[in-house]
Amino acid sequence: MKKKATSLKQQSVASFATARPRLGLETLRQWAVQMGALLALFLLAGYLSLATPHFLTAGNIANVARQTAVTTILAAGQTFVILSAGIDLSVAATAGLSASVAAVLMTSQVQILGVPIGPVPFGVGMVIALMVGLLVGFLNGLIITKGRIPDFIATLGTLTTMRGIALLVTGGLPVPSHLTAIELKGYLPPALIWLGAGDIFGIPVAGLIAVGVIILGWLILRYTAFGRAVYAVGGNREAARVSGINIDRTKIMVYMLSGLLAALAGMVLTGRLNSANALMGDGEELRSIAATVIGGANLFGGEGSLFGTLIGALIMGVLGNGLNLLNVSAFWQRVIQGLVIVGVVLFDQWRRRRFGA
Amino acid sequence: MAEEKRPLLRMEQIDKRFPGVHALDHVDFDLYEGEVHILLGENGAGKSTLVKILSGAVPRDGGRIWIGDHEGLVEVADITPERTRALGIGMVYQELSLVPTLSVAENIFLGRLPRTRWGTVDWAQTYHRAWQRLQDLGVSINPRAQVRELSVAEQQLTEIARVLESHPRILVLDEPTSALSDTERTRLFELIRRLRDRGVGIIYISHRLAEVPLIGDRVTVLRDGKRIATLPVTEVDEDRLIQMVVGRKLTEQYPRRSGARGEVILRVENLSLPGALRGVSFELHQGEILGVFGLMGAGQNELARTLCGLEPRYTGRILISGQPLTIRQPWHAIRQGIGLLPRDRRDGLVPLLPIPPNITLGQLCLGNPLRILNLRQEMLIASEYVERLRIQPPILNRPVLYLSGGNQQKVTLARWLCSNVRLLVLDDPTRGIDVGAKAEVFALMEELSQQGVGILFVSSEMEELLAMADRILVLRQGQISAEYQRGEATEEDLLRSAS
Repeated sequence: MKKKATSLKQQSVASFATARPRLGLETLRQWAVQMGALLALFLLAGYLSLATPHFLTAGNIANVARQTAVTTILAAGQTFVILSAGIDLSVAATAGLSASVAAVLMTSQVQILGVPIGPVPFGVGMVIALMVGLLVGFLNGLIITKGRIPDFIATLGTLTTMRGIALLVTGGLPVPSHLTAIELKGYLPPALIWLGAGDIFGIPVAGLIAVGVIILGWLILRYTAFGRAVYAVGGNREAARVSGINIDRTKIMVYMLSGLLAALAGMVLTGRLNSANALMGDGEELRSIAATVIGGANLFGGEGSLFGTLIGALIMGVLGNGLNLLNVSAFWQRVIQGLVIVGVVLFDQWRRRRFGA
Repeated sequence: MAEEKRPLLRMEQIDKRFPGVHALDHVDFDLYEGEVHILLGENGAGKSTLVKILSGAVPRDGGRIWIGDHEGLVEVADITPERTRALGIGMVYQELSLVPTLSVAENIFLGRLPRTRWGTVDWAQTYHRAWQRLQDLGVSINPRAQVRELSVAEQQLTEIARVLESHPRILVLDEPTSALSDTERTRLFELIRRLRDRGVGIIYISHRLAEVPLIGDRVTVLRDGKRIATLPVTEVDEDRLIQMVVGRKLTEQYPRRSGARGEVILRVENLSLPGALRGVSFELHQGEILGVFGLMGAGQNELARTLCGLEPRYTGRILISGQPLTIRQPWHAIRQGIGLLPRDRRDGLVPLLPIPPNITLGQLCLGNPLRILNLRQEMLIASEYVERLRIQPPILNRPVLYLSGGNQQKVTLARWLCSNVRLLVLDDPTRGIDVGAKAEVFALMEELSQQGVGILFVSSEMEELLAMADRILVLRQGQISAEYQRGEATEEDLLRSAS
């Protein structure tokens, strides 16, 4: 086979002056694409540093890191889903359910089929939360692939269902809830609170977790067969199929990963708030989609990066924080955040057309 | 001949650059009424760009365009896609622009459905007129059928019917026959002649050299964005055209077949697929090229798809090297060393990914999904095949989206070349690719067969089958109606067995 190859090669070189295979300016161009979002982030941060003395303080930056961490972790899972040409509306509900189940088991003793269980230690609670997240993701994947239901509808259904189950689990009360006006019924483990609100050498743990998730996710996307399959399924489903990629398995894995990360985000949020409740993180599913899209992902799949998603989440987080510092009313904050999402995507579309991405 | 005819179109010094490519280098082109002017050239030569400039879909960097009016030629400064219809230009693009969920009739009259006096759609009229238009084309397509249920050929004819509905004086056909069988092509040619006799000027883009003397009056050859020549068809022969198109002399388009064959690698027994195949049985040997011919819808494409795991509802037995196999999923086939070049080029590639991951795409299903990819090796494999198959431009990290059709096809072929296939299924591999790329595809087929790969070669081009195949199976209505050894059959024999 090798020999044949050379003879054919020589032939072609003789008749044609074939250029050698090479790398083009593509990598540079892709960086330039991400630089747009990064530039927006710097401009925003620069403006806020000038506009308010409170923005560029260690305390506030740690605060931004903690607030952004939850969105970032959810958006990391969302990026995988969107890359595979799906959408996961159930991430926030999954976060709420996993955290509620874990919090109930960590703070109180419950009877399950007559067997008393709990209060369980932090490690067990964490594993339970992650298992719940994986299970919800698995169900999402199963409904979408085997039930052939569009991703949007399937996850809309699980969103509502999971919120309902979480309400049943917690009885509609925050966990831990108050016995009396001052005494709490059970306490969350300190390790969980450290996860959401603690720091290592002044760096918030939640922020480190979020960065770790982004790096790990980036490695998976770039270096594993699964990551490649995600791009292929989202980029051209039929080509992925013809090439032997198991589309159903890839999609189920993507939704399981999204569910897993949602559970992690739910635990971090619970630690930060020192409390879990069934409806926690409401609206985070849309913020995670917005962060992903601001980060340059294509909603039709096949295009996007976790680095972009991190920047997208930071833009959302810094914006929210800045508007608070500037004393903008909560009503106006919503209006402004919405306009920013539309504006960024409009700019992105224009840039793609202009520079032929 | 041309003296008495009025000019319909003149394009002068048309210039267009895309990033990194000089797509059109000061090209002149003209068209008279009642003539078929063929635009010939390899993929990426600039044919499609030229007609896209004419339709306003792509803005030009330089040059002037005049379009024939009742008084004569009038210069048109800005052409937009919205204005082309008013200017009397009808475009049939390579990429179909039909709405798949609407009916044939709705597509034909899209945007100008006949109305009743109450302002509602006159459905009786719509279907009746659609039926008439299709009859004019000489095809029997149900105007009420949904477009997505039609074959590619039927969709293409629907598209032509739609464009003709606006009675264009200049009709542009961009590779209209690439999806058509020979009978359908003959009908299309009859239609083109009829339109020509009515005075319509036709720009006909093609890769098929054989079509030039059949249908053309004049031919313009483009190569690398430059106009090589414009000549009356009567003054050129095929050899000269190939030379002009390719820019070098192709001594042999088809390689010499050595014809050595080994053991049976594929055995198909009583293969059936609802609505497509009925009791098909055959054997394929190592190193053999087995041609499969059939008219549109005779089951040849489904046969190819079934062997590659894309039609899980089949019944019957498939044996690879004597081992019975069930192939219900593409990865079943790929793990057994069966590779497929799909009929639609777009089904083979992930457009946004660059060349290396597209070449190794077929290997993703081999092994643990969580394993680490060897990106350096992938790059080496990709450079080897880019060089060997002369994929142009050889930029490894650019999305394959930017490659021309022939080069995209080479990337898909490279996928199977690098993964030690035992059986390669080629479903119309030369559809819509240029002469140069075709010759390269045939050379690769010969090379693979010498290495002992069995090749199932489905094609709608009888000439290719007769030249390349060791044996040819003819399918008719899902059944094998004839089998010919190499050299036994003529094109007439194939056609007779197929219809």
